[in-house]
Amino acid sequence: MFLDKEKIFEVVKANTLKVLPDLLADDVTLDKNLSDLGANSVDRVEVVIYSLEQLSLKVPTSELHGIRNLRALVDLLHRHALSK
Amino acid sequence: MADRFSPVAITGMGVVCSIAHAIPEFTNAIREGRHGITNLPVDENHSVRIGALVQDFVWQGWVESLKSSEPCIYARARKVLNNTTESTRLSAYAATQAVLDAGLGELGDAADEIGLIVAGSNLAQDYIIQNWLRFRETGRPNPRYALTFFDSNQVGCLSEILSIRGPGFTIGAAAASGNAALFQAFHWIRSGIVRRCLVVGACIEFTALDLEAFAILGAACSGRWQEDPGRACRPFDQAHEGFVWGQGAGCVVLESLDSVSGRRILGELVGASLLLDGNHLADPSQKGEIRAMQFALNSGGLNPGCIGYINAHGTSSPLGDRTECAAIKSLFRDHLANVWINSTKSLTGHCFGASGVIELIACIVQLNNGFVHPNRNLDSPIDRELKLVSVKAEPLNAEYALSNGFGFGGINSTVVVRKGLTS
Repeated sequence: MFLDKEKIFEVVKANTLKVLPDLLADDVTLDKNLSDLGANSVDRVEVVIYSLEQLSLKVPTSELHGIRNLRALVDLLHRHALSK
Repeated sequence: MADRFSPVAITGMGVVCSIAHAIPEFTNAIREGRHGITNLPVDENHSVRIGALVQDFVWQGWVESLKSSEPCIYARARKVLNNTTESTRLSAYAATQAVLDAGLGELGDAADEIGLIVAGSNLAQDYIIQNWLRFRETGRPNPRYALTFFDSNQVGCLSEILSIRGPGFTIGAAAASGNAALFQAFHWIRSGIVRRCLVVGACIEFTALDLEAFAILGAACSGRWQEDPGRACRPFDQAHEGFVWGQGAGCVVLESLDSVSGRRILGELVGASLLLDGNHLADPSQKGEIRAMQFALNSGGLNPGCIGYINAHGTSSPLGDRTECAAIKSLFRDHLANVWINSTKSLTGHCFGASGVIELIACIVQLNNGFVHPNRNLDSPIDRELKLVSVKAEPLNAEYALSNGFGFGGINSTVVVRKGLTS
């Protein structure tokens, strides 16, 4: 499966909405970070792990720390998708 | 200030088990002697192929039903229960029922004075096994696994959903867990530590592994009744062959009398005991059971002659049933003709963590509605001197009832309850 950034964001967005059921779909944009959207530390891990699983990606845990917003997360996942 | 014998009010109740999803349905089900035991979805290699499963429970459904009436509880429950164990969802459902039944709703500032005790240990057995399998396959557990496998996570989840901020923890005492939690809450309220306390009997999600292990010890029913689930659980009957596991959760709201202030009192917890046999095995002790019942009566300033009904531990285990009969006969001697005895487990199966709480609810329901429910499958009683209810319900006119819970590891606990004030 070829993964472009748009496809990856779709997956991340769907998981964000699954973990944070009070959000509206339009709330989830690339320049937001998960904390701003109301995610606690465990919610953030949930969004990332579900996304990794659905995209069949493996990313070392250390690289997942310090991600500033959803754009940075999508970029990181995209880099790993390309190097697979 | 509470005196030595002051009772504790029961102001709210909630239940979900194989025979009911709410108190009115539970009342009708036990009156009619309905049972919830069916075949488990396992193959013939398993020794235990029966259980009393909660049917048709969809957590999103009941959470959605709170949307307009309890918007705050709704919003928190929807989030907290989204990725957790089924046992936690059942506990949350029973606890929310009980809080609303007590007329408490959103607790606000009162939340600081409410305690929460979740009864039962090893609640997440099935969740742990499922995560092990997930880990073996994908290299990762559920992202919430590290939080969720702790039994105490249920305390956190319920305290968040219901906004409870007093003392709280879990209590594990095997099959006596429910009564042990009631014992603790009773003393918290009597001693003024809290004015109100929720006691939640939680569902232990047993796995095929656990049930097989119980079968090896001869504790779980694993023999001829596997093909005839409706007849498998038969406390005090000569053909009893071990306990049948039941899923379920129950909750009661306990309060000091001055905290009730004019609200409805469903019943009173008047005595409780929790005592050890000094024995880590599964075998029950007649002496230990007598001590537990006697201590509970003493703590309420009562004697055996006050009791009109006993909700027996009665698991359908041959040795357990015989030992409890002997203990009751020894303590109640001259009063045996006045004491009805049944076992709710003949209908719900053995709900372990929840059984003490569900059986307290059964006591209140029967005292207040004037009946004792059938002892299902009691075709040939092992004892003819005890007033065991037959397979039909009987009228009950009693003020006080006693409920036993005896756990593996020689943990004996009894609670004594008084019927509610008639309005």
